[in-house]
Amino acid sequence: MEPIYLDYAATTPVREEVRDAMVPYLSGTFGNPSSIHRWGRAADDALEGARAEAAAALSARPREILFVRGGTESDNLGLLGWCGAQRALGVTPTLVVSAIEHPAVLAAAEAARAQGAHVEKVAVSPDGALDFDAAGHALGRGPALASVMWVNNETGLQLPVAKVVELARERSALVHSDAAQAIGKVPVDVREVPVDMLSATAHKIYGPKGAGLLFVREGTPLAPLLHGGGQERRLRPGTEDVAGAVGLATALRLAAAEQRTESARLAALRDRLAALLDASIGGLRINAAEAPRAPHVLSVGVEGIEDGSALVMALDIEGVAVSGGSACSSGASQASHVIRALYGAEDRRGTVRFSLGRSTDNAAVEWAAKVMSDVVARMRAA
Amino acid sequence: MSRVLVAMSGGVDSSVAAALLVEVGHEVVGVTMKTFCYSDTPGHGKTCCGLDGIADAKRVAQVLDIPHYVFDVEEDFTRDVIDDFVSEYAQGRTPNPCVRCNSNTKFRDLMSRGRALGCSFIASGHYARVEHAAEGSRILRGLDVSKDQAYFLWGLPATLVPRLLFPVGALTKDEVRRRARSLGLVTADKPESQEICFVPTGDYRDLLRKRLRAHPALAPGEIVTSDGEVVGRHEGYGSFTVGQRRGLGGGFPEARFVLEIRPESRQVIVGTREELFQDEVVVAELNWLDDAPEPGEVVQVQLRYRARPVGATVEEVGESVRLELAEPAAAITPGQSAVLFDGDRLRGGGRIVRAARTARVG
Repeated sequence: MEPIYLDYAATTPVREEVRDAMVPYLSGTFGNPSSIHRWGRAADDALEGARAEAAAALSARPREILFVRGGTESDNLGLLGWCGAQRALGVTPTLVVSAIEHPAVLAAAEAARAQGAHVEKVAVSPDGALDFDAAGHALGRGPALASVMWVNNETGLQLPVAKVVELARERSALVHSDAAQAIGKVPVDVREVPVDMLSATAHKIYGPKGAGLLFVREGTPLAPLLHGGGQERRLRPGTEDVAGAVGLATALRLAAAEQRTESARLAALRDRLAALLDASIGGLRINAAEAPRAPHVLSVGVEGIEDGSALVMALDIEGVAVSGGSACSSGASQASHVIRALYGAEDRRGTVRFSLGRSTDNAAVEWAAKVMSDVVARMRAA
Repeated sequence: MSRVLVAMSGGVDSSVAAALLVEVGHEVVGVTMKTFCYSDTPGHGKTCCGLDGIADAKRVAQVLDIPHYVFDVEEDFTRDVIDDFVSEYAQGRTPNPCVRCNSNTKFRDLMSRGRALGCSFIASGHYARVEHAAEGSRILRGLDVSKDQAYFLWGLPATLVPRLLFPVGALTKDEVRRRARSLGLVTADKPESQEICFVPTGDYRDLLRKRLRAHPALAPGEIVTSDGEVVGRHEGYGSFTVGQRRGLGGGFPEARFVLEIRPESRQVIVGTREELFQDEVVVAELNWLDDAPEPGEVVQVQLRYRARPVGATVEEVGESVRLELAEPAAAITPGQSAVLFDGDRLRGGGRIVRAARTARVG
């Protein structure tokens, strides 16, 4: 049996259409978009085309799209850039983040706290409910920004971003959402759910690594984190990665166009995998089972195996590639911050995250379930 | 061929061990144990066990095209090895952390992880051999006498022995390095790791000071001869080990050595070289890799790494063992290992509790 990849939430291969779209901008149309000459104009033309394409995929306006170098940078620019703009006005900003945010958001919030911001971490329950009382209270405290991820990377849990936006509007606060795991899996439309900022990255949607964007609604105050040239309205200086931007835009367009059909297909496969695992492994918990979930992630907690990373290694040896909590926190034997936030620090179930993608089919899911149940049985006997 | 879990420290020996296993066609899984974090000591030049070791092991695994994982055993290692190390010195004994790690941490963890990963064998880069025969499996000394490490393995669980492989045990160090070079392994010319891996400064007293703070082991005390005459003062008995000559001050008619450490009175007892020789040893925390020795049996016991084994008669066997040495041995040190051999075969061993000098000694 060929090894199977079930770690699409960690990263995805670049799809052919994306690669084909990028190739002309590596060696052919290679100019610097800031240059006056024809090479520069051609590159700028491609960059602005990509901006329009990316904006359309999110129902945003082109000028609201800032190209950055990935999801982590996008989160950092959104949170710290907004805090910086507040500080420039002489006011102390407040950040309200959910407890299950990606480390890029949590660590950026910690950095903001070190610079004097108020930071409030808001609890999330396994059914996906956010502590709206705490969030509402904190958002009413002067200039505030909520950062609530659209879809949680470790569990697939969907957070109630639309409700957070309502809550924030009533208090004249703003909302940022990390949508890295949401795009292509659930509808993401900044007109339907009018967040003020949104982060996305190409490599989770069959685009290149190192290409991301920050949607910034017009009128949202933002200060740059880097200083240099005037690129990206001075908010992200540095010569633009034209091929990356084109790749990101193409990936976004395709993800949005295929979202409905691909999501339905993935949800069916995920449910099949969950049913097979549940039937063959006792003491299994589907994490965030009661919450609305994106279709590509199945996170399970296994009773009697404390160390999820050991399970991941065992599965790898048998040819099934998955993650523990998340790729970023693997190697640590402690439960991830997400599992602890949802199920308490005392939870002793090892976590495994299966994440499905374009090449996942029924055979892959059935094989993975078989291998998983064999490995769990062996580990429980060990 | 079998699935084999090989412990890769990032050193040349375990790198070649992994390579040899791949060569004979085993399905090899490489692991490195993260035992200790050097983050408190920037700029250390350690060669093994630390994060550099992990990086080197990973590169070797990539060259060999085998999977490689990191097991985080820091918590267990701190409890079972570092805490024990400190507490032994605090009690006036001289610990043997590599033995302790092999016995309590490394191989136990490898055994359970190996089972979880479906591995039939556990391998390491130790210079020892293991012989698997129908009537049982046994650990033998490595063929390169100058590198033999069987001494460090007496505390392994006996149930693990049938599942062990020591691929470099039949090679010399030069052969190992040659193999590593011909395979183009990055670790081929790495220097030997000599010091204790969790004492990056090379001075274990730094660790004692950090961990013990104000403890009698670090408080001044008397230097006393075996006749009870006070001949000087010391800055803490934690700095001494039996047989040590350094730190006792001068002015003696002949060289003085540490004979004994008495933590209850904080005294360091000193005497002449001749007084260092003893012929009775009591050994506890025993572990036998096959049958325990019988009273009256004559065995060979190795009392230090690199020491020549000496003949001994087993006097009492129980929770501890009393051995009568055929010839007196110098500087028998409580806390160190007493390792029993039958020729090349490792039988087991224990920790030295105390030693004595019977009337038989001149």
